Amino acid sequence: MKQKNVIVTNNPLVSEKQPGNLPVEYLETDYMGVLKAARDKIHSGATLLTHPLYGSVKPGETPYRSLLIREGGNKVDLQSLRLIEAAMETCRKFEERTGLFGAGSVRDFQVVDLSLLMSALGDFHESRQTLSYK
Amino acid sequence: MKLELGKILIHDICFAEKSEIRDGVLYVSKEELEKIVMQEEGIQSVSFDIAKPGESVRITPVKDVIEPRVKVEGPGGIFPGMVAGVETVGSGKTYALKGMAVVTAGPIVGFQEGVIDMTGPGAEYTPFSKTLNLVMVCTPVPGLEAHDYESAVRLSGFRVAAALGELARELQPDETVVYECSDLKESFEKYPGLPRVAYVQMLQSQGLLHDTYVYGVDAKKILPTLLYPTEVMDGAIVSGNCVSACDKNPTYIHENNSVVEDLFAQHGKTLNFVGQIVTNENVYLADKERSSNQTAKLCRMLGLDGVIVSQEGFGNPDTDLIMNCKKIEAEGIKTVIITDEYAGRDGKSQSLADADVAADAVVTGGNANELVILPKLDKVIGTLAYINKIAGANAETLREDGSLAVELQVITGATNETGFGRLSAR
Amino acid sequence: MGKIKVVHYINQFFAQIGGEEKADFPAQLRKGEVVGPGLALTQAFGDEAEITATIVCGDSYFNENIESATKQILDWVKEEAPDVFIAGPAFNAGRYGVACGTVADAVQSELNIPSVTSMYVENPGADMFKDKVYIVSTKNSAAGMRGAIKALAPLALKLAKGEKIGASCEEGYIPQNIRVNFFEKERGSRRAVDMLLKKLAGKPFTTEYPMPVFDRVAPNPAVKDLSKATIALVTSGGIVPKGNPDHIESSNASHFGEYDITGVMDLTAETYETAHGGYDPTYANQDADRVLPVDVLRDMEKEGVIGKLHHLYYATVGNGTAVASAKAFAEEIGRRLVADHVDAVILTST
Repeated sequence: MKQKNVIVTNNPLVSEKQPGNLPVEYLETDYMGVLKAARDKIHSGATLLTHPLYGSVKPGETPYRSLLIREGGNKVDLQSLRLIEAAMETCRKFEERTGLFGAGSVRDFQVVDLSLLMSALGDFHESRQTLSYK
Repeated sequence: MKLELGKILIHDICFAEKSEIRDGVLYVSKEELEKIVMQEEGIQSVSFDIAKPGESVRITPVKDVIEPRVKVEGPGGIFPGMVAGVETVGSGKTYALKGMAVVTAGPIVGFQEGVIDMTGPGAEYTPFSKTLNLVMVCTPVPGLEAHDYESAVRLSGFRVAAALGELARELQPDETVVYECSDLKESFEKYPGLPRVAYVQMLQSQGLLHDTYVYGVDAKKILPTLLYPTEVMDGAIVSGNCVSACDKNPTYIHENNSVVEDLFAQHGKTLNFVGQIVTNENVYLADKERSSNQTAKLCRMLGLDGVIVSQEGFGNPDTDLIMNCKKIEAEGIKTVIITDEYAGRDGKSQSLADADVAADAVVTGGNANELVILPKLDKVIGTLAYINKIAGANAETLREDGSLAVELQVITGATNETGFGRLSAR
Repeated sequence: MGKIKVVHYINQFFAQIGGEEKADFPAQLRKGEVVGPGLALTQAFGDEAEITATIVCGDSYFNENIESATKQILDWVKEEAPDVFIAGPAFNAGRYGVACGTVADAVQSELNIPSVTSMYVENPGADMFKDKVYIVSTKNSAAGMRGAIKALAPLALKLAKGEKIGASCEEGYIPQNIRVNFFEKERGSRRAVDMLLKKLAGKPFTTEYPMPVFDRVAPNPAVKDLSKATIALVTSGGIVPKGNPDHIESSNASHFGEYDITGVMDLTAETYETAHGGYDPTYANQDADRVLPVDVLRDMEKEGVIGKLHHLYYATVGNGTAVASAKAFAEEIGRRLVADHVDAVILTST
């Protein structure tokens, strides 16, 4: 299978803007749901390209996760697996409070999430196709 | 490189017609400062207030804390690349207004955080309950994007701090400390028997509201680089970081970096303080690998025996911290890391999102999830409208008697990861 | 307020009755008496507290009669109604340590009376009870009595008064795997410099956060002759007889099941299914052999590749199940497998 980079996200703004013209897999799910979806992909050979716990806005506050992954590998990348498992573990210890933030904050969360992803992609746009973190 | 740091002790702040420092009292003209702030197009209005240690005052949401300084002799100006040119700083003479800080406040985004209590249990946890604080709350023009708002408030803060520092230019400092570090060859000859030690400072660099600048360069775009430790005393590193109040480094903490200070205290006695390496905490995993590789390479090039690594922020940076530690240790260089913990409210969860056996010497700033009750205070500077949204707060945050039940996360500087405070955990 | 009332528990040795030869000394209540280490405790309490009764019990007696001895001791303590209960210090005496932990835990959990004990960190009682009661850390012999009392007495007083208990390094108790904040004397950067200087000099230093240790199990040597071996199947994939008779939870399982497969040659959609909620159950429910390979092992049994397939298999659900629960299941399953003389196990997950 040909390798390709994909953004897995539950942030509608990421889906709309499609940063870096990368294919976006939009999921109607929560923070943990995105981590789980990425975990499942890692189980079938995908590699994480961005850190799953990016951003200081804690799990339970921001509802959004957008992860860049490379699909199409043929073996489980243990580093990716370790990171995603640790992220899920971390996520579980925070209280769920996403519901407390008003509509204005929802947009802010989306913007911050998108811009963190764009920062990650930004300067590596050129080398993105060949860059793996190993 | 030799820097004389002159300390001008400030005993009080009051508003006046004319800005000046007289007999240790800082007089502030709101009109003069307002003019400086209004240079920024994005800011519609600004209000100033003063909070003193022991007063029943809560400041929230805090964005940055800045110590006013002025470059009296030597190349460059304070906050190079931001509000001064890009000359290399860190030599000559600098004056600092001690005992006070400029605090910028205002909701950049709807989930803004950061609490400074000037009295009560909350005051124990923040270093900024002990400073006289000149607080500026900036309101944006309608429709301003978060990026632009952040940048406007950040730059205004530096301009105001620089302007206040300028008031001290002709004064005589109350005390002077001299910091001197030689170049490599000289220092190796001067202290042949002492272990060579460097400080590796990891800078928050993930993106919007998570940025740090080195001579004006966005830290996510740097390769790890080497500084004389005196450069940060002239504001070579500044904060654009608004999130994770407890363990972000406000500009004040960069100017007064305590690892730098404590290594200087031992310099020439028990160790040879060779220099400061700054590196970043990017989101892209390849960046993490590259930066930690380069950091370990610099440590090897410097012929180091020991390193202290400090962290900034939560989650993602745990991975950078562990990578740095592992790779530096693998060079045969003894490493101590400084971090903080998210062990859950009950303290029973795994503290870090990453771990390795190489990290056998850890200093911790405490568990940021620990719950504290902050009693109602008489006055709020800023707004409480965000308090039940700020990190660590929840639906029961605002309690009936007006007190707040919050996690330490929300308190500015509470679990600082440069070892600025005394809080720890076991 | 009057003096704080303390009941103190010690063994036959510290009561000066005798050593190992007197270890069968039955539990005894000594009202109004202060015995052995109780004297040092009393001195340390000053005017604040007094020992109103001492309970003495032989180590063998206690460990051979755990239930009845514990009950007897609980009755006495209830009667005395102290403000705090102290057991030990037990130093490195294993059975004494376990006894101290057992009674302190029982007094605290059943009578709601704050309790504290004290022993050496490698005493087996420490590992068993450090999460349940405060255990003041001691040296490995009674030579450390002074140091033990110095920490034990103030901690007991704090507990009796219901005061906030600080971090382990402040109070001197063995860490309980709970992170507790406190203010150090020096700021963090200074502590980091000091720690680095020690590390550079090759001197001992104490990390403030020990990295979590991951349980790594060294593999056993290979089975010498498979054709004579009894092989058992154990799974965390949730394969259970149809209808899930033991109601094993689909996630965060609280127990495991033991099922007899005597005469079962093949698992079918009619007879077995999965209880696991963490993966798509379609294929496991179609043919549970995909997770628990009974059919293949029956073939191997027939072909003589293996001696025989054990007639019982064990199943639980690994989905989100706590490591502590999994560990407890494994210990019990392991015990039963050993008792049944099973030679090797095939462990399947999903």
